[in-house]
Amino acid sequence: MVTKTEETQLNQLENRVENGGGGVWEYLSLVRKLKVRRSEIVLKHGLSILNDSGKRSALGPDEWTLYEQVAIAAMDCQSLNVAQNCIKVLKKKFPDSKRVGKLEALLLEAKGMWEEAEKAYTSLLEDNPLDQVIHKRKVAMAKAQGKPSLAIEHLNKYLEVFMADHDAWRELAEIYVSLQMYKQAAFCYEELILTQPTLPLYHLAYADVLYTIGGLENLIAARKYYAATIDLTGGKSTRALLGICLCGSAIAQVSKGRNKEDKDMAAPELQSLAATALEREYKQKAPAKLNLLSSALRSLKIS
Amino acid sequence: MNLGFVVGVIGVLILSHAAYSTIQYRGLLKIMEEEFSRPPMNVLLELIVGLALCMWAALTFPGKFLSIHPDSDENRTVSLPDSSEFMIFNHRGRLFPPQIDMKF
Repeated sequence: MVTKTEETQLNQLENRVENGGGGVWEYLSLVRKLKVRRSEIVLKHGLSILNDSGKRSALGPDEWTLYEQVAIAAMDCQSLNVAQNCIKVLKKKFPDSKRVGKLEALLLEAKGMWEEAEKAYTSLLEDNPLDQVIHKRKVAMAKAQGKPSLAIEHLNKYLEVFMADHDAWRELAEIYVSLQMYKQAAFCYEELILTQPTLPLYHLAYADVLYTIGGLENLIAARKYYAATIDLTGGKSTRALLGICLCGSAIAQVSKGRNKEDKDMAAPELQSLAATALEREYKQKAPAKLNLLSSALRSLKIS
Repeated sequence: MNLGFVVGVIGVLILSHAAYSTIQYRGLLKIMEEEFSRPPMNVLLELIVGLALCMWAALTFPGKFLSIHPDSDENRTVSLPDSSEFMIFNHRGRLFPPQIDMKF
């Protein structure tokens, strides 16, 4: 997870690098550490280092990591020749390396040659049947070919073995949401919240999915998770505040014909508190849109 | 940073001087065969001054304190890392090759 300080640092370095200042190597290392996807900039400036043999030798053993990073960025920007050349250099230096083998298979994937890539991955898996990265690449290939059900099958098999992998659970949840299988997506988010309960973004995503499924119990649970997000972020999450207002009005609508005890679940104080907090935030950050917000909130309270 | 360090050293020296004075005072009392109830007033004053100096130095010397709140402005999670292991290259950016012709 990227914190605010790291993000500001990244943006600063990016500005510096783009405007011709130095600091390219720090920027590339930070991108590698935070695992963000900035392929164009990485490609442009990584190539400028690699093409200059003086700067290249100044890097020492980190030169090969840079080759790998630039190769992947090149594949993302569809400059397949650059990627091919980088991989050729790496292969000359490390002829029997599995890491280079993975890069080659990745290049086949980027070119769109799915069967060859599949064959390459299967042969790599024979040598090393418990390699996490290769299993994930098979899932990504299924996703890229437009077969989400196959991707789900592979991912489920992977998660049976490696249950602690957060990225995989997140990926599965997103695939389920894209296929509108919301109950399964809710299950995945529950797993994520269990392993990392302090990340407010998971609570927020889970509340969104619950709100989408609908029904009284789910709406009440969704409101609880929006409240948990607000608690974890210290009241700064606009999306969670809006979520509480919407949940409140949806619960009021669903429980219109019911008896008194269900009506007590409406919790009007929570909704009005959230509305006040929202108006205050809009006044600070986007005063032009305050009228829109007030009229929207009013229509919610009425219905 | 330097000033904090110097002040800290002075504080420690004052405290050790107070300790030495107390030990000497106790020795004096043993000669005069009186009871040792508490150190003399000037030693107490020295102790308070040394305490104040050491505390000030301890707070200034280490530099900026980091925030521990998870929702403070520096520590809050802005975004989760893009899952680079599930990255696919089959996206719309494929149709936009980079402007500059890259050679290697």
